[in-house]
Amino acid sequence: MSTPALSVPRTARLARWNAVLMTRNRLALVYGVVVPLLPLLLLLSGDRGDAGPGAAAITTTVLMAALFPVFYNVLSQFVTRRDELVLKRMRTGEARDLELLVALALPGAVVTLVVSLLAVPLAMALGQDAPLNLLVYVAGVLVATVMFAAFAFWTAAWTRNAEAAQMTSLPVIFLALAGQFSIALPASAQRWADLTPGAALTDLVRSAWFGLPESGTTRTLDLAATWGEAAGPLLVLVAWTVLAVGIAARSLHWEPRV
Amino acid sequence: MTTPAIEVRGLHRSYGTGAGAFEAVRGVDLSVEAGTITALLGTNGAGKTSTLEVVEGLAAASAGTVRVLGLDPVADRDAVRRRTAVLLQESGFSGDLTVRETLLQWAGTLTSPRPVEEVLGRLGLESRADVRVRALSGGEERRLDLACALLGRPEVLLLDEPTTGLDPESRRDVWELVRDLRHAGTTVLLTTHYLEEAEELADRLAIMHAGRIVREGTPAEVAAGHPSVIRLDEATAPAWLDDLGARRVVRGGTVTLETDDLQATLTTLLVRAEREGVRLDGLEARAATLESVFLAIADQPADRSPEGALA
Repeated sequence: MSTPALSVPRTARLARWNAVLMTRNRLALVYGVVVPLLPLLLLLSGDRGDAGPGAAAITTTVLMAALFPVFYNVLSQFVTRRDELVLKRMRTGEARDLELLVALALPGAVVTLVVSLLAVPLAMALGQDAPLNLLVYVAGVLVATVMFAAFAFWTAAWTRNAEAAQMTSLPVIFLALAGQFSIALPASAQRWADLTPGAALTDLVRSAWFGLPESGTTRTLDLAATWGEAAGPLLVLVAWTVLAVGIAARSLHWEPRV
Repeated sequence: MTTPAIEVRGLHRSYGTGAGAFEAVRGVDLSVEAGTITALLGTNGAGKTSTLEVVEGLAAASAGTVRVLGLDPVADRDAVRRRTAVLLQESGFSGDLTVRETLLQWAGTLTSPRPVEEVLGRLGLESRADVRVRALSGGEERRLDLACALLGRPEVLLLDEPTTGLDPESRRDVWELVRDLRHAGTTVLLTTHYLEEAEELADRLAIMHAGRIVREGTPAEVAAGHPSVIRLDEATAPAWLDDLGARRVVRGGTVTLETDDLQATLTTLLVRAEREGVRLDGLEARAATLESVFLAIADQPADRSPEGALA
């Protein structure tokens, strides 16, 4: 049978109700919409137009925008829906598993994308340069979104209930933030820290948007050079995504854990 | 003869592997003719839900075949799901959505849903349409479940213990609705551990025990061959009861007489009581019931081979 794996209209309709549910839960709304917007305030720090603090603000924004609306939000939404037996009921109908998963991730993914794009005019209004390579920047955000959604489904598989998600989310959150602290590590360890998804996303934003090389705070790259500089981190992100999707697919669990 | 709406052949289903494996379904054959109601009856753990889950396409069989409307519930998933509806043993709703929103959400997953307002009316949920599901009573939640099932205009309806936990009035409402649906041509397969429910609703019933169907037929066929019972209070029971030729059991202050000819035994009893001026307190008489059949089956050990199935 050559039916597509996913019906776009049905997925969109499911996603719409997931978005409604997200707005009905105050905590979900805070994590899913408010938290990712906060790091944009970092743009107000430092000298106007200074690439160093600018890059720090944007990378933090993108990381938080992927981590909370997608990873943490999808994790808690999946666990809640699973424990309410909503997913079990949904699976008796016409909706396919992939549609249910995509629809669950979609509201958060839209927030991530909107915040990441909103950062562009906002940063420019505050004196930052326009992104050098917008395409790579957006591609990085999209890949990170898929990766964190997959990590959310994998984490959900061993999360007992929505409350336990506060603990079980920590390994992935640590993995995402490890790159931020790599500065504090000895050089030998830094090489490995660069391979974490958070560090890769940071490197990608620094080169694609600001034209910054791997280390340093002065722009040295031109548009042509950003392709090559961003290829490494993008590849790291893709590798993590493949891994995350693989382990998520293997561990999916639709019924409450007993 | 037409193809049955549901046909199960040689179904086995196991949980786990190796030494810890447990076979919950051990060779079930079942057919449900289109437009009829069949009840799968059994004690908890008899394998009813395990069987139904394979029919629903939610679980795979270890062996055997299942056809729903002539199609494979797993391989032909999309085609089957468009024409069937499932009511799970436990309702699963988001408490933060209202009744109407829940129906709109479900309608959004269906190919050709009925209008939500029509279904709300049919289930008597209009006045609760804007109430959050969290605030519904158990009976209302079950009605919402049925409303979802109705939304997709199913040809085949699979109900897993539809009235467990409901008050008697809600239970009657559910029965009424299921009968209406059958009347409109829907095929229904339901599981239950309520004998009354099976007797009330089912055209045919299949009694499951330890993973097998041990009796099958119309309620009358299944009960046939089992004795009728006469009960009366032990305190006022006359000494000559043994003369009636019925098996006599005394338990909890009640005498129970089992007889294959209810009318003859009862006539003898009443005529003699009248003649001797004896008052029989707590007198009650019942034709052969599913209850006696069911209890007889439930008492049997689990590893007994199947027998006594009526064609």
